[in-house]
Parts: sequence; structure tokens; C-alpha cells
Amino acid sequence: MGMAVGNEAGGLTNEPNVVPMIDILLVLLIIFMIIQPMMRKAIDLQLPDPTPQATPAVANPDQIVLEIGPNMALSINKEPVTKDRLASRMKEIYDPRPSKALFVKADGTNKYQDVIWAMDVARGAGVKVIGVPPKDAGT
Amino acid sequence: MGMSIGQSGKTTVKAEPNVVPMIDVMLVLLIIFMITVPALAAGFQAVPPEGVNLKPHPEEDSDQVLGIDSEGRYYLNKQPIRNEDVGEALRRIYDARTVDKILFVKAHRDLQYQKVLDAIDIASKNGVRVVGAISDQRPGTESSVAEDRAAEAAQTGNP
Repeated sequence: MGMAVGNEAGGLTNEPNVVPMIDILLVLLIIFMIIQPMMRKAIDLQLPDPTPQATPAVANPDQIVLEIGPNMALSINKEPVTKDRLASRMKEIYDPRPSKALFVKADGTNKYQDVIWAMDVARGAGVKVIGVPPKDAGT
Repeated sequence: MGMSIGQSGKTTVKAEPNVVPMIDVMLVLLIIFMITVPALAAGFQAVPPEGVNLKPHPEEDSDQVLGIDSEGRYYLNKQPIRNEDVGEALRRIYDARTVDKILFVKAHRDLQYQKVLDAIDIASKNGVRVVGAISDQRPGTESSVAEDRAAEAAQTGNP
């Protein structure tokens, strides 16, 4: 570390002192290594078809709708389920099902974090496609 | 600069630590943070919700991010935008695209879901097919979906 102090003769060598430069470059390297792997993570939501004259999707009896009422009152196809039972119930439903689609119909008064939590649980239970029903679809 | 070499010709060596490289590093850090902090803090800020089973998306220049901050204000790619203009701006972007009609929505976690629904509604009417709800990985967790883990490994492994 520090400047090289010549030979025994006491003469100073005139090589540039690169140690501080290397220190700085290493710090820069570390900073960019930390910044680099920032990856965007998201839950993908399929949007409804913008053409409203399409046949009402509610007619399909095979689909599964997770409703989130006010105050996080959860129900799967109108069957109420508690928050801590949601994960196991979802697994029961989706394990034997070939179609891994779910509609999430959440009340607007819920917190965004809570809705994302429910979608997150659904993805954990094997749901591949999460759909958002059209805004003004009649219940 | 460098280690100080005793007094006039004598070969005694001072035992003080050499702080010059440390000061160099500190100054560089100071400058870097002075530059980056205003850039990060300016404009749009929101804390996205936390989740576990999230799908990784590599960041691309063509990605469009609609931000919704804790006051419900909209930002398109970090630029503030009036609520009425969002639809038109999205239409201009997504009409020109033929594939990959995904819009990322980065909304504050404590917002009412209605705010997000409104944004989704605007997006669906203006050519967006998929909304990616940006979320943070809960610290210390990993997605339980095998495809997500595989995608993440593929992206971090060979950038």
C-alpha cells in the first residue's frame, strides 16, 4: 500500500500510484453489480375484451371467479372462504383442473395490497392466467 | 500522497494509517450519491405491493410503465400526466404495436383497488391486452411457481 519507496539506494521510482484508482474502480464495480440485477416483477392480468357486445362471459359455467367483497370477504364461485383457507381451497380446485384460469372480481374499496395478495395466493396454487372482468359487468 | 517517509533522510517509518485511498473512495461515493439521489427522488414515487409468486419480466426499453402514486396521480414512464390524457397517450403507443401489448402498472400499495381498476379500464379501452401489476418480491422468499424460478434463473444467469 502507498507509494513504492525505491530500492535500498533511497531513490524514488516514478511509476504512477495506481492503488487509489483501483480502489475507486472496485467501488464502482460493486455499485453497478448491485444496481444491475434489478428485475421487474409483476403479476400479469388479462384484460377484458374491449368490445362490449361480446357474449356475456358469465354464461360459461366452467370458469372460476374469485370475488373479493368489501372488507376482504372472499368467495370462490359464491362460496365463502376465509383468508387463511384460501390457499388450500385454491389448491383443491386447481390441482385436478386442466384449465388454470381465474377471474378476480374485487370490490373497489379494498386495498390494492390485499387484492394483489389474493392474486399472489392464486398463482401459488397453480393459476396461470388471471383475468379481470369488465368494469360494468352485471353481477 | 502515499506513505510519508519519516523526517529528513532518517529511515523511521510512521505508524499512522494511510487514509488517502479511503478518502478517495468516500469522495467518489459522495459524488455518486449526490448525482443519483435527486434523479431517483424526482417525479414519481410509489411503493408497490409485496408478493411471493411473481413473474419476472426483464426490463426492456420498449416497456411502458403507468405509475399511480399514493395520491392517485398518474405518471406515464415517470412523467406526470393528466387523468384525461392517459387514454389518448396509451392509444398512441399501443396502436403502433402489433405484439406484446403489455402495460406495466406500478401502483402504491395502500391505494384503493378502485384506482387501479380505473387505470385497468382505461388501458383495456385503449389497446392494452395485458396489465403487469408490478410488485416487490417479499424479502427472503422465492416464487413457488417453477416456471417463474426458471425464467429468473435464465435471466440472471446469462444477461
